[in-house]
Amino acid sequence: MDNMKHIYIEEAKELFESLEKSLLVLEKFPNDKTAISEVFRIMHTIKGSSGMFGYTNITQFLHNLETIYDLIRNEKRQLSKEILDVTLQSLDHLKVIIHDDELIFGNNKKKHNELLITIEFLINENGAEKTESIIENEEAVSSLEWSTYYIKFIPSVEILKKGTNPLYLIDELHSLGECIALPRMKELCSLELTDPSCCYTAWEVFIASNSSIETLKEVFVFVENECTLTVSEIAPFNLIADKTFCNTFCSNTLEADFINTEDINEWVDNQIQNENKQSNSKAITVPKHYTEIINQKEKSITSIRVSSDKLDELMGIVSELVTTQAGLKLLAENTNNMHLDAFSETIEKLTRRLRDVSFGMTLIPVNTMFGRFQRLVRDISYDLNKEIDFVTEGGETELDKTIIESLTDPLMHILRNCLDHGIENAEERKKKGKSPKGKITLKAYYSGASVYIQVSDDGKGIDLDKIRSKAIEKGLIQHDSIMSDKEILELIYAPGFSTAEKITGVSGRGVGMDVVKRNISNLHGEISTETEIDQGSKFSIKLPLTLSIIDGLLVKIGNVFYIIPLSVVDKCYEVKRNELDNFNKLIVFDGNQIPFLDLRVEFEVHEKEPLIQHVIVVNNEDRKVGLGIDSIVGEYQAVVKPLGKHYNGQDYISGATILGDGTIALVLDSNRIIKRYKINHLRTEELV
Amino acid sequence: MKKRILIIDDSESIRELLGNALENAGYDVIKAIDGKDGVSKLEEPNIFLIISDLNMPQMDGIEVIKHLRKHPVYQFTPIIVLTTESQEAKRMEAKEAGATGWMTKPFNTDKLITVIKKIIR
Repeated sequence: MDNMKHIYIEEAKELFESLEKSLLVLEKFPNDKTAISEVFRIMHTIKGSSGMFGYTNITQFLHNLETIYDLIRNEKRQLSKEILDVTLQSLDHLKVIIHDDELIFGNNKKKHNELLITIEFLINENGAEKTESIIENEEAVSSLEWSTYYIKFIPSVEILKKGTNPLYLIDELHSLGECIALPRMKELCSLELTDPSCCYTAWEVFIASNSSIETLKEVFVFVENECTLTVSEIAPFNLIADKTFCNTFCSNTLEADFINTEDINEWVDNQIQNENKQSNSKAITVPKHYTEIINQKEKSITSIRVSSDKLDELMGIVSELVTTQAGLKLLAENTNNMHLDAFSETIEKLTRRLRDVSFGMTLIPVNTMFGRFQRLVRDISYDLNKEIDFVTEGGETELDKTIIESLTDPLMHILRNCLDHGIENAEERKKKGKSPKGKITLKAYYSGASVYIQVSDDGKGIDLDKIRSKAIEKGLIQHDSIMSDKEILELIYAPGFSTAEKITGVSGRGVGMDVVKRNISNLHGEISTETEIDQGSKFSIKLPLTLSIIDGLLVKIGNVFYIIPLSVVDKCYEVKRNELDNFNKLIVFDGNQIPFLDLRVEFEVHEKEPLIQHVIVVNNEDRKVGLGIDSIVGEYQAVVKPLGKHYNGQDYISGATILGDGTIALVLDSNRIIKRYKINHLRTEELV
Repeated sequence: MKKRILIIDDSESIRELLGNALENAGYDVIKAIDGKDGVSKLEEPNIFLIISDLNMPQMDGIEVIKHLRKHPVYQFTPIIVLTTESQEAKRMEAKEAGATGWMTKPFNTDKLITVIKKIIR
């Protein structure tokens, strides 16, 4: 969240800049309609995001300010110099309080209230003439309208049993004005004697409000017989804005005694006298203080925001550069010019670094996505009436921003499923001897060139028998199909599958998991499931760090170049053609039998076979498979370009890349090839 | 999920009026025709608030409150009783039994919604 606030502050600062510009345009051309709506729009945007990030004072402030421009926009009000002045002042004020939304600094608070009152008058006034006199009287007005009250609220021990939540009452006070609520827990006895259905807390509240004392009392109307209540006015102005007052009286220790009201009165009297003496000197010190804060904070921001379009463009150029550099390298090798060679090598190094740096820019921490899930889990678990402990780990792990964007929906689906189907309700959990609170963990971590994202729950796990019978019922598998546990588990990703007895609004109709799987495959990722009855389930998603440049192994079959992603390659072997036992599709390396797939046969290559063939052993899910190719060219940094529309029908080639000499190499998706082979192979067997 | 409110009132018009207003305000409403029916409706899950009349056949509002305050699930659930001006004593009795708040009839439904929003969130 702190990280997000950082982003918000940067964004707000930019918006303040544009707001200032538009306001200055307005000053020159007060009738410029676009500038007026621009001002309104910017204010509205800042207001919106301030609200999202909990900057309540700024939100409220901007709301009032915005009202004026709404009136102007709708031609109900003429833009005046006063309005512009106040707006610009407000803007300066906002720049300060963006670092102090709670208005902890007394000066900020004072300024805030002054401006609020001025704005209020600008909204309500009928003509421009009145403004001056009002601003002059501003001080007096603020003193008249705002009073500070002291409330002592001691609920009876039994209050909770009447269905009243005393916290809501305190909240309601907060909505009436500026409020400092001090809980007092002196009555709280030792833990073993405490009855959880009783209320032992009392509150002392200082509230600065323009409401009458009756309005404040009305808050407590339903509980008047269940509490001891004192409401008294302690000062005819806003005392809470006064820092020294807060320091003196608002000590927030829970065991503290109730405050003596006479002490407060005495203090207030003293303060009023001092204030009169100091008021002149204060006015001068204020602006200095302001600029100090601004300078401090502005230095601390060290990043700039760049639009993602620009980043995409940069990535495109870097990709072109990598391709061009490959061409240069080839040329240098062929021309035998030492000087050219040296340059080519330097450029290769620089290109590589440039590539890494620019790719680093598009990586963003997954935290940005995890934050959203916290909220989602909270809301859903509330809806489902389940208590969930949601833990996220490895939020600092970075992933390509496009991957993160397309990953949100699938992850959300998995989380929903865990919440709805995975975690049992509290009673069921208790019966099983688990803690009534369910636990869901969302974890991200690096492993090689991949990032793993895992969602695990400690719920009831997935019942394989149930899945099996459901799949039979839905006609997805035959009644007597022999399947491994793993294959049965895979069925949850089949289209049109749902095991929930009741379809709930949360996890939908089981159309989810197949879409999840498809989305993840589109990102060149894989999803796998582990589950144990009553222990929980774990969904692991494996993703490449980035999509557009991969390190690959350049190989040749017939006359065509192919790239096999280096991340899946395990080992390479040389084999004599006549030693290949093509009969039972197995090959023995280092004493291990490995299934073997000759790509020459698969791709129907008819060129003459070389005497010595190469076998690349690749990782396929949890086993190894050998792929037969003609020859290995070497390692290659492939800038993956999408294939044209005409090739949408096939899925075992995930893209293409341009080699240094302009030839095209196809990027193989080994997992898909193996899967396709398996399907074809099994079908022919069935036919036989 | 919408918050569920149980309305217990023997007058159909009041039930409908309240039900309508609450549904428009985004609540899920279940209705009971008297205290006895109301108590049986406590089998339903996720009730956030109960609004009950006081004078009802079969089982009156006070009994409903007493029953509710002993209920294993709903003993802390807020309950608003509907009273009339003349029922000051009755109101105190309800309060004594454990009512959270009251609305004096006649009232406009906006006011009721405001009160509800203060009591449940």
